[in-house]
Amino acid sequence: MKILVCLKQVPHKDARLEIGSDGTWIKEDGIKFEINDYDNYALEEALRLKDAGEAEVVVATIGPDRVTQSLRTALGMGADRAIHVWDDSLANADSLGIAKVLAAVAKEENFDVVFCGLMSDDSNYAMVGPMLAQLLDIPHVTAVVKTDFENGAVKVEKELEGGTLEVSQVPLPCLLAVQTGINEVRYASLKGIMQAKKKPLDKKALSDIGLDGAAVAPKLSIEKIYTPPKGEGANLLSGSADEIATQMVGKIKELGLL
Amino acid sequence: MPKTLIVGEIQGGSLRESTLELVALARGLGGDVVSVLLGSGIGGTAEELSNKGGGKVLAADHAGLEQYSADGYASVIRQAIEQESPDLILIGNTPSGWDVAPKLAAALDAGIITDVFKIEEAGGDLLFTRRLFNGKFDGQFRVAGTPKIATVQPGAINAYEGSDAGSVEALSAAPESRTKFLELRTAAAGGHDLTKAEIIVSGGRGLGKPENFEAVLKPLVEALGAQMGASRPVVDAGWLPHEYQVGSSGQVVQPKLYIAVGISGAIQHLVGMKNSNFIIAINKDPDAPIFEVADMGAAVDLFELVPALAKAVAAAKG
Repeated sequence: MKILVCLKQVPHKDARLEIGSDGTWIKEDGIKFEINDYDNYALEEALRLKDAGEAEVVVATIGPDRVTQSLRTALGMGADRAIHVWDDSLANADSLGIAKVLAAVAKEENFDVVFCGLMSDDSNYAMVGPMLAQLLDIPHVTAVVKTDFENGAVKVEKELEGGTLEVSQVPLPCLLAVQTGINEVRYASLKGIMQAKKKPLDKKALSDIGLDGAAVAPKLSIEKIYTPPKGEGANLLSGSADEIATQMVGKIKELGLL
Repeated sequence: MPKTLIVGEIQGGSLRESTLELVALARGLGGDVVSVLLGSGIGGTAEELSNKGGGKVLAADHAGLEQYSADGYASVIRQAIEQESPDLILIGNTPSGWDVAPKLAAALDAGIITDVFKIEEAGGDLLFTRRLFNGKFDGQFRVAGTPKIATVQPGAINAYEGSDAGSVEALSAAPESRTKFLELRTAAAGGHDLTKAEIIVSGGRGLGKPENFEAVLKPLVEALGAQMGASRPVVDAGWLPHEYQVGSSGQVVQPKLYIAVGISGAIQHLVGMKNSNFIIAINKDPDAPIFEVADMGAAVDLFELVPALAKAVAAAKG
């Protein structure tokens, strides 16, 4: 079985984010980046299939030079090889542009399963997975919380709302966009990290996959980003821990709960 | 003024409230409104939508549409788009909406934006507003070309309350799906029902490690006679079982008092607790979105405040 895992590198969870000078995105200088959390779960799900038998796991990402580090991490966790696509014209790419690039990459090989994260922790769009499936003309399921591969198909559980799960059977090839918590993500072992250095990491330009800037021109553009206007918000208490605790207890009493 | 196609949604046999929110949004933009509704045996619901502002409702009534499928729904919605040539297509950002909308956009090579909470006209164009970075920022967006597709955050807009006589028209559908629906099932509920709790104290990633739920949070939970809840990252990391999760994919709660400890307030958590009667938030980041829904808060180190609060509660009880 051949598996493609699509990864995105996003600002680190604990990075202090500030709005950049042109007001349309965050300042990326001087912050740390990491693999999008949802994508870690997607990669882990693929690696479990590899552990269970014959599977080749290929990771692909789009981004500037800094993403190489995330690809090495993925190789260190156990992926077999990596594909890195970049072109300056992708700097403002929208989800459909990204999906077109990933589709061009995927079409060069025949993957049985494509794994993505449900969404990314930066833009939270949750669009690339279903778009990529459409462009590859394969079925997809989003918010996947369980997979069970058997006889050329996969039984999938999708998370709906309020604790309801939808169970369905999907033929391969297919695309699965996974929800966080589907598995327990492994860390790259020291041995894995050493081996990763020797694993293939292909760098591709758009022209290498038959695309150009015009083919991936964005339809979605960001006018501006800003800190959400403060509503009434919380009455923020100050003072020592004991002083704050006393005020809180006063309120809890007033609510009739003490 | 855009002509808008609303993709209605049926949930548990009834018209989903979010559909009437789409109606309000579309009507607010001032253009023509038409709707498409998909399902099986949906005559009455289509009638209802047509009388509640949905305009002309294209009813795709077919046994193969009883359960959502990306293939089946996308093909029928495309039919409606081809028939009506809307400028704007509105879909609820629900588990089926977020699943089908990007697929449609790719099939039509159309511009799309997801999970918006506001759409306004500006200089003959539409401006879409949504959150970014899990609520840390808001962004305003433009979508080029026609049609434009937007999914809308449920609950963000008040539902349309007018009654207008529309019409219902059958849309003949022949849905096919490569995915085979097997069943709906309820995630193991466990014994931890938070929906009836008077007081809930929930912990998030800010607690740092699973042991701190026992060592730091539990004394406060016990002093208050509360139930313990958790945010999604805590459950995803396996620190607490799913039955503790408060949020759109966990339990939606409405206690008299909700105390959020070390929770930044991702949208999916806020949806699950923002209707609590009184909310106290404790988080070291004063810009955390949780403070927007909280009534009272403290942007301090939880490891100092929570033990002090547990002690003060115990003392107040005497």
